[in-house]
Amino acid sequence: MAIFRKKEIATNEFDQVIVGTSLTKEAWKRLKKNKLAVVGGVIVIIYALVALCADLLPLYPYDQAVTSHRNLRPSLTKTAGELMMEQEMKNLFFQAWRGGRLELSDEEDAQIETWIQQSKTNNVWDLVYARGMQAIEEGTFEWNSSEQRRIDNLLEDIETETLITINSVSAPVDGEMVSIEDMDYDTILSLYAQLIGADIELVSQSMYNEVSAAVTNELRANDSSLTGEDLTAAVEMEMDAMGETAFQNRAVQNIIGYIEQIAQRSASSDINSLITSGQAQLPYRGTFDLSNGLHVELEVSRVHERRYICGTDYLGRDLLSRIIYGSQISIAIGLVGTITSIFIGILVGALAGYLGGKVDYYLMRFVDIMYGLPYMLLVIICMAIFGRNIINLFFALALVSWLTIARMVRGQIMSLKNQEYVEAARSMGGSTMHIIFRHMIPNSLSIIIVYSTIRIPAFIMQESFLSFLGLGVQAPYASWGSLIGDAVSSMALYPYKLIIPSIIMVIFLFSMNFLGDGLRDAFDPQSKNQL
Amino acid sequence: MTKYIIKRLIGMIPTLFIIVTLSFFIVRIAPGGPFDGERALPEAVKRNIEAKYHMDEPLIVQYGRYMFDVIRGDLGPSYKYKDYDVNTLIGVSLPNSVVLGSMAMAVALLFGISLGVLAAVRQNTLLDYIPMSLAALGLSIPLFVFAPFLQQVFCMTLGWFPTTGWFMNDAPVRTAVLPVIALSFAYYADIARLTRSSMVETLRSDYIRTARAKGMKNSTIIFKHAMKGAMLPVVSYLGPAFAGILTGSIVVEQVFLVPGLGKFFVQSSFNRDYTLIVGVVIVYSVILIVMNFIVDIVYAYLDPRISYK
Repeated sequence: MAIFRKKEIATNEFDQVIVGTSLTKEAWKRLKKNKLAVVGGVIVIIYALVALCADLLPLYPYDQAVTSHRNLRPSLTKTAGELMMEQEMKNLFFQAWRGGRLELSDEEDAQIETWIQQSKTNNVWDLVYARGMQAIEEGTFEWNSSEQRRIDNLLEDIETETLITINSVSAPVDGEMVSIEDMDYDTILSLYAQLIGADIELVSQSMYNEVSAAVTNELRANDSSLTGEDLTAAVEMEMDAMGETAFQNRAVQNIIGYIEQIAQRSASSDINSLITSGQAQLPYRGTFDLSNGLHVELEVSRVHERRYICGTDYLGRDLLSRIIYGSQISIAIGLVGTITSIFIGILVGALAGYLGGKVDYYLMRFVDIMYGLPYMLLVIICMAIFGRNIINLFFALALVSWLTIARMVRGQIMSLKNQEYVEAARSMGGSTMHIIFRHMIPNSLSIIIVYSTIRIPAFIMQESFLSFLGLGVQAPYASWGSLIGDAVSSMALYPYKLIIPSIIMVIFLFSMNFLGDGLRDAFDPQSKNQL
Repeated sequence: MTKYIIKRLIGMIPTLFIIVTLSFFIVRIAPGGPFDGERALPEAVKRNIEAKYHMDEPLIVQYGRYMFDVIRGDLGPSYKYKDYDVNTLIGVSLPNSVVLGSMAMAVALLFGISLGVLAAVRQNTLLDYIPMSLAALGLSIPLFVFAPFLQQVFCMTLGWFPTTGWFMNDAPVRTAVLPVIALSFAYYADIARLTRSSMVETLRSDYIRTARAKGMKNSTIIFKHAMKGAMLPVVSYLGPAFAGILTGSIVVEQVFLVPGLGKFFVQSSFNRDYTLIVGVVIVYSVILIVMNFIVDIVYAYLDPRISYK
C-alpha cells in the first residue's frame, strides 16, 4: 500500500499509475449502476440459498401426507388442530343453517343462496361461521348432542394424536447393536423372521416371490406384448441375470421397509402408554427400546400442533415445504438444462464457424430444419411416451434448445476467426481443437454467459409448462409448474394453493429477467433492450 | 422474387418429411401401444385388432403405407376414438384453435406495435413506462399462471364472463375475450419490447434526421419512414411467435375449456393413439412452416437490402 500512496502524490503527471481496465471490470461497473438488475441478482441469490439449504431448514417433510390435514388454509397464528376445528364447525353451522336451527336475516339467507349458485363456498362458510359464533356467544344457539359429540371427539383427537417418525432402527446382533441399514442379507432375514415369528426358509421364499413379482411388473411396463409363457421365461431369465447381490439388495430394501413398519406399530403402543403415564413429554425425540428387542431412534410430536404457513395440499402435505423443495427442482432444471444446451450449442457452433465450408453448410441446414420443428410438441410426445421422469425431462428439453446458442457461437467464431491472435496461434501449429477451445471460446464466453442467463427463465417456464400438463415432474416430487397445475382444478375453493406458488415463481422469473437484461446491457451496451 | 418463393416452397418439403418420419418412429419405438388398456385383451383378439390396423406388419412397411396415405391427404383412422378418422377429429377442432390463435396474434400485434411505437416516440415519459412495465410483467408471468388468474378474477370474483363455453359453439361472443387476452399477453410483451428498441434505434438514424431537416410532418416521419425499417425485427420474431402460440393454446384451451386441437394432442400422447398424434403434429407443423414461409416473404418484401438469388 505504501508504494501506491507515494505514487498518488507524484509531482509530475507522467509519473501517474495507469490503471488498466478490462471489459469485465467495465461491465461490472455498469451492472452495479443498474439498480433493478442488482435487486434481481440479490433475489436470485436468496432463492438459490433457500433452495440449497432446504434440508437444513425446519420444514416438515415435503412428501409426508397427514390425512386429517387435507386442504388447510394458510395461517400464521393458528395450528393445524385449530384450523381443523374451525372447518368442522363451519360444516356444522352450515348444516344447522340448512336445518333451520341457525337463523340469519333474510338478506343474508338470500345472499347465501346466490353464493351457493355461484359456487362460492368459501364465502358461505365464512359467513355462517361468523354468525354462528356470534349466536353461541349471545346464547341463541346451542349444539345438539350429536354435534357436541363430534366436536368433542375431534377435540380429543387433536389433543392426543401423535405422529411418530422413525429415524433409524437397530437390533442386537451378537450382543452388539447394529443398524438395520448396515446388516447383510442373512442377518436381516433372520431378524425379520424372528420378529414375525416365521420360519427363515418360508420368509426367504416369500422374499424371492416378491422380487420376482416386481420384476414381472417392470417387464410388463416395458414391453406390453409379453404374455403367458413368454413372460414367465423372461422373468426367469431376468432373475437369473440379476445375480445374488442384486437380488439381495432388493430384498433387503423390502425387509427394511417391513421392519420399520413393525417398529412404528409397536412404538406407537409403547409410547402412548409412556405418555399417558406421564413419563414422556411431547415433542419427544430420542431413542427407545421396544418390547420386541428393536432399538429405535424416533421423533414423536403432536401432529395437530403443526403450523402451516402456506397451508396444505389435497393430500395433507405442507405446501411451504413443497414449494421450497419444488424450487430446488425448478431451479436445478433451469441450470442444468441451460448448461447442457450451452455445451451442445458451443460444440456445434464452434465447429461450424471455424471449419466453414461443407461442415458449416450441413450443420447449419440441420439447425434450420430443427428450427422449423414444433419442438415443444416433440418434447410432449417424448415425455408422454418414454416415461415421465426428471432425467427424460432434462434430455428432452436440452436436446431441442441448443439451436440458438449454436447460431450465436457460430457468428462469434466467424468474426473472431480472422483476428491476429488466432492467426498467430495457427502459425505456431496449434491444433483446431486447441484454437477453438483455448482461444476463441474464452473470447466469446461473456456473450454466451449473458445469453444463458436469459435462457434460464425460459427453461424454467418450459419445465413448468410440461409439469402443468402433467408431463413433467411426478409425485412425490414437486416443481412450481406441478404445484400450479394441481391447484388449478380447485382454485375456486382453495385459491391460496394457486396464488402462493404462482407468486413465488413469478418473483423469481421477474428477478431473473431483470438480472439477465442488466447483464446483457452491461456486457453488450450496443444491443440495449433487444430481445 | 418468384424464384425465391419457389425455392422456399421446395425447401419446405424435407422439413415436413423429417417431421413426419421423426414423429412416426418416436411414437412407435416407445414401449406400450394403443390397445394396452387396464385389462389385458385375449391374445387372439389383440392379434385381430392389430391385423385390422396393419400393426402386425414390419415397421418399415407400416411407414411406407402411412406415408402413401399422408401424401393423399388421409391421416388414417383413430385408434382410440373408434368410428372416427383423424381427418374428422382434426376438422372439428382445428377451426377453434386457428381462430383462437389468430385472434390472439392480431391482438398482440395491434397492442404490441402501437404501444411500442408510442413508448419509443415518447421516451422516458409515463406513456413509455406503463406499456414497458406491462411488457416486463408479460415476460415473467407464465401463461399457465396468467390464465387461471384471469379466470379467478374475472369469472369467479367479478363474474363478468362465463367460466366455460366457446363462442363458436353457440355461446356468447364474450367467451372469447379471456382466452384471447391470456394467449396474447406474452406475445404483446415481446412485440412491444422489440418494437420500442428497434424504433428508438431507427429514430436516431441519419435518414430520419434528414427527413426532419426537410421539415416533414412528424407523423409522416414515424409512420412512413421509421416504421418500415423498425418493423423488420418484429416480422422476423413472428415465426417463432407462431410456434409459441400453437403450444400456448394447449394451456389456454385446457384452462378455458376451448374445444380445440391442443387437448387432443396431449390426450392422444397419453393414449398412444399413434395416428392421431402424428396427424396433429403434421397439422401443427404445416401451420408453423407456412407461417414461417409467409414471414420470410414479408421480410424480404420489407427489407430492400435482401436480394433474391
